[in-house]
Amino acid sequence: MNDLLKEAKDLVAGCDRCGTCLTVCPLFKVRDVERSSARGKNAIARGLAEGGLEPGAGVRGAVEFCLLCRACADSCPNKVATDEAMIRVRQVLTDRAGGPTAKYRLVGAVLRSRALVGLGALSLGALRRLGLLRFLPSALVPKEFPRKAFLAAFAGPAALGGEAPVSPAQLGTHARVAYFQGCGMKLMFPDAAEATLKLLGGLGEVTSPDNPCCGLPHLAHGMGATFLDLAKENIALFEDADLVVTDCASCGGALKHLASHFREDPLWRDRAAAFSAKVLDLTEYLVRMGYQSPERRDRTYTFHDPCHLVRGQGIRRQPRQLLEAAGTFVDMRESDACCGGAGTFHMDHPEAAAQVLARKTSNIEATGADVVVTACPGCLIQLTRAAEASGGRFKAMHISQVI
Amino acid sequence: MPVTTLLDELRLIVGQDHVLDGEVDRFGYSYDSSFLPLVPARKPDLVVRPRTVQEVSRVMALAHAAGIPVTPRGAASGRTGGSVPLEGGISLALDRMTDILEVDEANMMVTVEPGVRTMDLHDACAARGLFYPPDPASWKFSTIGGNVAENAGGMRAVKYGVTRDYVMGLQVVLADGAILETGGKAIKNVTGYDLTSLFTGSEGTLGVITKVLLRLIPLPKQRGVLRLMFADMEDGCATVHRMLKEDIVPSAAEIMDDVSLEAVARHRKMTLPAGAGCCVIIEVDGEDAASLDGQYERIRHVAAACGCLEFKVAKDKAESDELWAVRRGLSSAVASLAPNRLGEDISVPRDAFPEVVRRIGAIAKKFDLLIPVFGHAGDGNLHPSVLCDMADAGQAERVHHAVDAIFEAALAVGGTLTGEHGIGITKRPYLAQALGETGVRTLKAIKAGLDPKGILNPGKIW
Ligand SMILES: Cc1cc2nc3c(=O)[nH]c(=O)nc-3n(C[C@H](O)[C@H](O)[C@H](O)COP(=O)(O)OP(=O)(O)OC[C@H]3O[C@@H](n4cnc5c(N)ncnc54)[C@H](O)[C@@H]3O)c2cc1C
Ligand code: SF4
Ligand code: SF4
Repeated sequence: MNDLLKEAKDLVAGCDRCGTCLTVCPLFKVRDVERSSARGKNAIARGLAEGGLEPGAGVRGAVEFCLLCRACADSCPNKVATDEAMIRVRQVLTDRAGGPTAKYRLVGAVLRSRALVGLGALSLGALRRLGLLRFLPSALVPKEFPRKAFLAAFAGPAALGGEAPVSPAQLGTHARVAYFQGCGMKLMFPDAAEATLKLLGGLGEVTSPDNPCCGLPHLAHGMGATFLDLAKENIALFEDADLVVTDCASCGGALKHLASHFREDPLWRDRAAAFSAKVLDLTEYLVRMGYQSPERRDRTYTFHDPCHLVRGQGIRRQPRQLLEAAGTFVDMRESDACCGGAGTFHMDHPEAAAQVLARKTSNIEATGADVVVTACPGCLIQLTRAAEASGGRFKAMHISQVI
Repeated sequence: MPVTTLLDELRLIVGQDHVLDGEVDRFGYSYDSSFLPLVPARKPDLVVRPRTVQEVSRVMALAHAAGIPVTPRGAASGRTGGSVPLEGGISLALDRMTDILEVDEANMMVTVEPGVRTMDLHDACAARGLFYPPDPASWKFSTIGGNVAENAGGMRAVKYGVTRDYVMGLQVVLADGAILETGGKAIKNVTGYDLTSLFTGSEGTLGVITKVLLRLIPLPKQRGVLRLMFADMEDGCATVHRMLKEDIVPSAAEIMDDVSLEAVARHRKMTLPAGAGCCVIIEVDGEDAASLDGQYERIRHVAAACGCLEFKVAKDKAESDELWAVRRGLSSAVASLAPNRLGEDISVPRDAFPEVVRRIGAIAKKFDLLIPVFGHAGDGNLHPSVLCDMADAGQAERVHHAVDAIFEAALAVGGTLTGEHGIGITKRPYLAQALGETGVRTLKAIKAGLDPKGILNPGKIW
């Protein structure tokens, strides 16, 4: 049996088919058939491994119909990592099909190339200056472009392989802090990225090396070798920094986990471990530095927990703490339910993604908040759509822009 | 009828989206939460998901005319293979029928569709100060239709009884599509045979439940949860036994042995006192705080006399929820200890509980297997779980003997094969032993009368 399939089977071996996950899966809420649920997906993984199912279009469709948001694993009595299993199965299917589909190869190539990502930012910037681009990135940009570009925040915490350990990094004003700018922030939210740099700059010296993609999209879509190459580039690039701070939940999660991908590599093991140990999410960094908002605004905020932050890195309290200091904070129902963006998911399954988002929108509206805040460009894209759908009842912003 | 016409007909009845015939979907409706192997899969030919009783009725009429097997399905959380379509045909999933039709506060009754989840029903009633007590550990995801079909029990059975004690009436679609109404809101009702009871616990073999009328009681105002640790099961059992004898009736008394305890402790960062080999979780309810305090004191007294190592009262709702979560996650946590688990569900007279636990211990030793035990100490229902690796042929053989021995032990102390999970597929071989030839013949006669073609959930119970 294929090793990856065996791994997938082992990952789901603890599934007791009880059904607890049926109640939390955001996709099961919008398409309530067994194959949507984590239980169904685990059974598919086992069925494939045990020869009860043949890989085909149906299987492929089912394993790709997953936000990899990890809500299932979080609530599962056995902590069965359905999401991780799905990544394995996707890789198996991809390998069998002779490599990733053209779409993902293209996406991989775009994000692989710093030049192209830079160009993307430039072109978006130009559009923005010309007033052709509203804050909403999906609105007026040529259709083709965002399709390639929206890929910063792929895959759920699964791609990370479990919640990240808390960084043991030593903080202080003397630390050499470097900003890791994710493709999503670069492409879609340069203003938010600027705000992040300003926040960081206010706390001490900060550098902003021209880093390549964190590699998560590649990892999530069967381009493991590219992922490792990118990781090495980043490890080398940030060797001089004491701390690497990012304002993208997905990048943060991926980077914190790099060490685990090099465990068997004597050349890179130590360097990777040192790198991962110094990665912090922006909110984590600010709270640990005792950051104080310069002013408290008369605004009501609510927070959407990105999967990669809440389940990928175990960060729940910090953003709330920052928002409570910056204005009035109201928690929404199901704040940690995936928004439906999930990398390319919203492109592959626009209808389901829209339904998942509609639920989010109504939960945001119910809080009466002026602004829904998040900490991941992928989510921000979705939430901006939600804001539009709500007819201006609330705005969506990155946390660096409101604190 | 040619297959294509049948498909078209079904699609006309329930709508295009609600007939599934793809390979992956058929596979998805081939299993439940029982310990039957996943492969070879017992796939239905079609999955049909009706929304109304009329749709169910028309689907059944069609299936009846064509002689197609139909297996009703709720959430597939059953533990004995009840919703597994053994003979293919149609998997009739009732999980789209999710309306709470009426909460009749004056008569303290509620009418629901079968796909309503047990917890949602409970919450909807609780919001009006009414209480639907049966709460199987699967209440978050199991459906009320499944609960009625299995006559599910719950943690609170010791004080409040099981599903059957609350079912006042049913709407059932019979094998040929005819719609039967049983029971009603009148508390006293002896008109004819008790059909409501007959369909309750019938495991989807006699009819499809499409509506359920349930009796409610007032919601207890206060509730408290306790966690008691003991050195071993004997002490734990003795405590529950003495409590009941002294007329302290908890609303739940759940017991677990050392292996079960460790399994949950691993998942939930619980710290266990040194030497703890048994945990009892007790829930009490009452009118006010004073009534709870009184019960805590009496329980503390009894427990101390039985060698209680640690006595803990949950401080707040969060702590109570955590204690319950420990119990509700238990079944799955134990299952994750080994590649396979055969979870059994025997029920014995209350006073035989310690004896049967002892016998199971001996069986584990004899067959060299790990068999953790947990269950509802308050009502004599226990769940021994044979942990094993069925891929190991030698072990598989021992496992079968051990399971046989467990059932024998249950019957020997005056107990029965199942307290709540039903017979389904997994306990079929033991039925005659439990009911006797005449018992089985009587069941079969009823089945033949209601489902002469044998299309409803074939292969189950006998
Ligand atoms: C973790 C876990 C804990 C559990 N704890 C308990 C417990 O404490 N107590 C307990 O009693 N059980 C327990 N169970 C078993 C199971 O949850 C119950 O048997 C439950 O009642 C099944 O409901 P379901 O909706 O999932 O039904 P399914 O599993 O889908 O079906 C069960 C049976 O009912 C039939 N059926 C379902 N719906 C209908 C209908 N509308 N009309 C006619 N027949 C129908 C099916 O054909 C099948 O035979 C547990 C299971 C799990 C996984
Ligand atoms: S994944 Fe976990 S929660 Fe879902 S059915 Fe399996 S054991 Fe239960
Ligand atoms: S990872 Fe998210 S979308 Fe995928 S099965 Fe789990 S809960 Fe559902």
